[in-house]
Amino acid sequence: MRIWLRTWPLIAGLGAAYAAPGPPLSPESIRFFETHIRPTLHSQCSQCHNDRLRTSGLSVASRDSLLEGGTRGPAISLDRPGESLLLAALRHTGSLKMPAGGKLSAPAIGAFERWIELGAPWPEDAESGGRGEDAVHWAFQPVARPTPPQPSGAEWARNPVDRFVLARLRDSGLGPSPPAPRETLARRLHLDLTGLLPSAEEVRAFVADQRPGAYERMVDRLLASPHYGERWGRHWLDLARYADSNGYNADAEREIWMYRDWVIDALNRDQPFDRFVIEQLAGDLLPGATPQQIVATGFHRNTLLNLEGGVDFEQYRVESVTDRVDVTGIVFLGLSLGCARCHDHKFDPIAQREFYRFFAFFNSIDELSGEFSNAQGRARAFEPILEFGTPEQYVRKNALNAQIEAMEAEQRAYQKELLGRQDEWEAGLTQEEVSGLPPGLQVILRTPSGERLERRKEILRNAFLAQDPGVQERRKAIAAVRKLLPAIPSTLVMRELAEPRPTHILVQGDFLRKAERVLPGTPAALPPIEGSEPTRLHLARWLVDGRNPLTPRVTVNRIWQRYFGAGIVPTSNDFGTQGERPSHPALLDWLATAFVEAGWSLKDLHRLIVTSASYRQASGHREDLAATDPANRLLGRQARLRVESEIVRDLALSASGLLAPTIGGPSVFPAQPPGVMIRKPWPESKGSDRYRRGLYTHFWRTSPHPGLMLFDSPDALTVSTRRNRSTTPLQALTLLNDSGYHEFAQGFAARLLRETNGAELSERLSRAFWICLGRAPTDAELSTLRSLATGQLDEFETHPERAAQVLTLGVPPGASSHEVAAWTAVGSVLINLDEFITRE
Amino acid sequence: MDPLQHVRLNATRRHFLGECFVGLGGIALGGLLGGQPMYAQPANATADPLAPKAPHFPAKAKRVVYLFMSGAPSQFETWLWRPKLREMDGQPTPDSFLDGKRFAFMERFTEQRPTLLGPQRDFQRHGKSGTWVSEVFPHMARVVDDLAVVHSLRAENFNHAPAKLFFNTGSTRYGRPSMGSWITYGLGSEASDLPAFVVLRSGEQNLMGGANIWGSGFLPTAYQGVEFLRTSDPIPNLSTPPGFSRSQQRARVDAVRDLNRARLAAVGDPEIATRIAAYELAYRMQASAPDLMDLAAESQTTLDLYGAVPGKASFANNCLVARRLLERGTRFVQLYHTGWDHHGNRVNNLAGKLDEVALAVDRACAALVTDLRQRGLLDDTLVIWGGEFGRTPMGEIQELPGRNHHIENFPMWFAGAGINGGQTIGEVDDLGFFVTKDPVDVHDVQATILHLLGLDHTKLTYRHQGRDFRLTDVGGRVVKRLLA
Repeated sequence: MRIWLRTWPLIAGLGAAYAAPGPPLSPESIRFFETHIRPTLHSQCSQCHNDRLRTSGLSVASRDSLLEGGTRGPAISLDRPGESLLLAALRHTGSLKMPAGGKLSAPAIGAFERWIELGAPWPEDAESGGRGEDAVHWAFQPVARPTPPQPSGAEWARNPVDRFVLARLRDSGLGPSPPAPRETLARRLHLDLTGLLPSAEEVRAFVADQRPGAYERMVDRLLASPHYGERWGRHWLDLARYADSNGYNADAEREIWMYRDWVIDALNRDQPFDRFVIEQLAGDLLPGATPQQIVATGFHRNTLLNLEGGVDFEQYRVESVTDRVDVTGIVFLGLSLGCARCHDHKFDPIAQREFYRFFAFFNSIDELSGEFSNAQGRARAFEPILEFGTPEQYVRKNALNAQIEAMEAEQRAYQKELLGRQDEWEAGLTQEEVSGLPPGLQVILRTPSGERLERRKEILRNAFLAQDPGVQERRKAIAAVRKLLPAIPSTLVMRELAEPRPTHILVQGDFLRKAERVLPGTPAALPPIEGSEPTRLHLARWLVDGRNPLTPRVTVNRIWQRYFGAGIVPTSNDFGTQGERPSHPALLDWLATAFVEAGWSLKDLHRLIVTSASYRQASGHREDLAATDPANRLLGRQARLRVESEIVRDLALSASGLLAPTIGGPSVFPAQPPGVMIRKPWPESKGSDRYRRGLYTHFWRTSPHPGLMLFDSPDALTVSTRRNRSTTPLQALTLLNDSGYHEFAQGFAARLLRETNGAELSERLSRAFWICLGRAPTDAELSTLRSLATGQLDEFETHPERAAQVLTLGVPPGASSHEVAAWTAVGSVLINLDEFITRE
Repeated sequence: MDPLQHVRLNATRRHFLGECFVGLGGIALGGLLGGQPMYAQPANATADPLAPKAPHFPAKAKRVVYLFMSGAPSQFETWLWRPKLREMDGQPTPDSFLDGKRFAFMERFTEQRPTLLGPQRDFQRHGKSGTWVSEVFPHMARVVDDLAVVHSLRAENFNHAPAKLFFNTGSTRYGRPSMGSWITYGLGSEASDLPAFVVLRSGEQNLMGGANIWGSGFLPTAYQGVEFLRTSDPIPNLSTPPGFSRSQQRARVDAVRDLNRARLAAVGDPEIATRIAAYELAYRMQASAPDLMDLAAESQTTLDLYGAVPGKASFANNCLVARRLLERGTRFVQLYHTGWDHHGNRVNNLAGKLDEVALAVDRACAALVTDLRQRGLLDDTLVIWGGEFGRTPMGEIQELPGRNHHIENFPMWFAGAGINGGQTIGEVDDLGFFVTKDPVDVHDVQATILHLLGLDHTKLTYRHQGRDFRLTDVGGRVVKRLLA
């Protein structure tokens, strides 16, 4: 990330800023330095020789530090420029040969000779001057306990959250929006807390319930619903980059759905967030860890796994560990630690050395690494895993394994005997038979046996064995027994190596270029970690020990963002100096404090936010706000938010009456358009598994279900803290034409006809509207729907053969097919409405 | 302000097809607003992300078709004639070439010192330029004077997925936008009812890297590549559900539009106007995309030129679809054909499998150049051919002849807009190990493609996580010798 390479020419214009010691600076000498010297120092030397690392005591960060030198003495000599140690190292004339990456070109070395000759002129650089060490960036400061303000009109406020929001609005001469209609509130709450539609009856009952506390009772009921864990679990899975396959080109299937279920369950039982974090990062290290606590560590096993032929496992293990650092930094600290992988962070106080100290926490997992050969590695590719078999399954497994072993032993003996006859076979091959063999074998056979390379002998041996009917028969038999092995559910977890793997700084992030060794530790800019030799468990506790200001701030901000469309800090992945400043800093701190003091209860935090008057505002357009606060950062209204990809599906499912509300279990394979999968199996689910919620859809990383990706699901390659909300024609085609949504519309039609048996058209239409949108239609809306319905009814009555084609799910008992087909069209229109897939 | 214009400014954000409000089929959105601006535009919604944008400087190329040979073709059997390697066939590899080098499938090389594998095919000089071309490409040999063949490409990573990512996104790590996305971001769309960036796949093997290689990374989804499928629906869900007539589909779309309009009037969220436009465009695509894919509309002469057969899934058909897309305003078409990973096993080898894959692409690649020229499109269309890396001069010890992955040199060719054809660029040593003159890095290729499109690769940037990113990361220089 050598950003300054692009910005340095600007510096040349800032003559007044150069007050460095050394020879007087001329525009020429500045240009010379910036063109020939600084880029080389930066790209070739400063990875190791910077102010923080000072490898061999040397830093090349300034003229002074070069004059001062390191353990070998001054790097440059102004008295005897030609004898400068730096030049000797660059020329490779002595024992010290630099840079480590290879000798510089002759002109590059010549430039250094000339530069030292000139007295090493060094213009002060804008970069070091710009890094304000004095003022501590807001996000690193301890969380404050602000007192909620008392703005005028504070009777609007329902809880302290609102007083912060209102005060900010008043400062800008604005006021809040009125509360949303009760119908909207009911739908909003259901979509936000469970991601499913409220029934028409639930909405009507809430609208009619004028007793105090009606809203709060609905909140409590929804927070207690098991679907709450699904809704908010999916948000967490975005952070965990959860998927059902390995990624990269092979992208084999993996089994880690138990981690997904663990998240849902932990949220449903409102596990305190600090425990939630500790178990996911280090559940395996807890004293007396339970199986469920170990399952939780799947969080950081959601990294990609490259099993492509010919890979160096170590390279991709290092990638995985790097990803764990990135994800931990972004999810808990709001910091892009990954930027310090190759060099010190350009903007935030994270040195490269600190990156690798953080890296060390995740570097001793007993997983696929360079210590394994290709074959060994493949055989244990998913380790460490935790199995959940029944006793019967293990009995059966052991018995079958014993049987396989015996069969293999017999096979080995048979093959050994057979190989004694290989020469005979070779000698007996006719010219014709040889020419029928693959060319490679022909070459081997033509080579005298004494001159054959070992690998070629092996190829020939395998070919000989493979043609023998006895061998073929035995292989088939063993494969058949293998097929009987019980499928024991398992999940990827963390397990520490007995001996920690040493961690080194990697020069420019290259796993082959190991520099100095480092021990686990956290960045100096943050509160200290406990323990002289901290482990992953210490790290987990440090994140949530209450003194670390970032974790609670980042967490409440992310939750806030889901409710209002944007966080108090809009860059929810970056609380560093390059991130945006909070719109309501005091509110952020107040929420963070309240969260920690309430024992890190997520449900309490949700309740606090959704019962606020700020949350309950209408989301409609306001002229005055559009002019002064177009991005709605001051929260003078609620936001209209298109729901996430999974929820688009879930809403259609819940309207259809087909939803299978089962929670958890292996991922499922709902219908998808043909031709999209990139050579991956998609055994389309039958029965109720066709109608499971979106978060259970099997996720192939290289070829995800298009229904998810078209509505902006994250790609699960690394953390995602915010989703896009795009609006595209491909989404329209999906909701209009996709076979899955067509089934949902049929389900809707069947349900509607059943629920409004004998009702007249208007009543039926009104009911349809209530089911999908949770409100009564206006007269205009009703008339649009009526003309649609009558048109479709006429059409299908005249063309019964087409009505039959529409009904791919068959005709429900007691219904007439033209009616079901027509109401399928009506249901499909409602599902396609912007309002249907929007939380208003 | 013209009310339609006003809605356009307000509403057409974030969806991937530009010109949504052009030819809306007489929908009176202006009337809906009574000619009065009903709401001011949000700050982040002022521009259609796909509105055409001016390049940094006049462009030589208006559109690009990139023929990606997935799996890494062997240079020694395609474009790089090494007679010396044939002489030394079967001899041990000189130590100087192996020391300190890493290869894919390293253990196959460390068990035993590999031997050199002579070229498995013959070469001849072709055209006025006298360029050497392998016998597996008789058709490309005929257009060789249009091609600038670069021999001195070097790659960063010797595994397929990361290398393909690098070619397409400038980084071996996931999450960066692809080249087509950058280009669409930089120039917008000229296609009124088709995507600006389309991907077509052919070949029977796994396309390593998956859909991420045409993803938009951290750029808005509007810029991602749209894959056209080889099924009856080239775009997923293009067909109306069974049993619905076209007029019934229109009635559904009209009802959705009318109800969405009513909601727009009630709540004033410009995103609803965007959705209304998206539905109109979707409806239009239902008509235009099948027409695009209908190769039966082409003359028999043209079909024969490509070797295309209407209704069949093939690289040849994809090349013809590519031309039809380019004619209709799509700016960047990328074709992937798999089957080039010739290690020497039964599925992938330099024996019969090389001939199969060469046969599948050769005629159509040449036809595309010829056809574009005949239609006057070659002057402003850039055609690119190449894989993700090359293959070793050493053979693998396998049943059949094959080569390992090699990143030190491999070929690509460029033709058409702004390209000085009929030349070869770069030199490689006699045994085909290393570039000896004029090395070209992948970032250089990217910089050159952007340059031809009128974009300065150092200026096409996007701010993400506090930093300005670009396709060429911190590298890239335009390969001047390629330019006419």
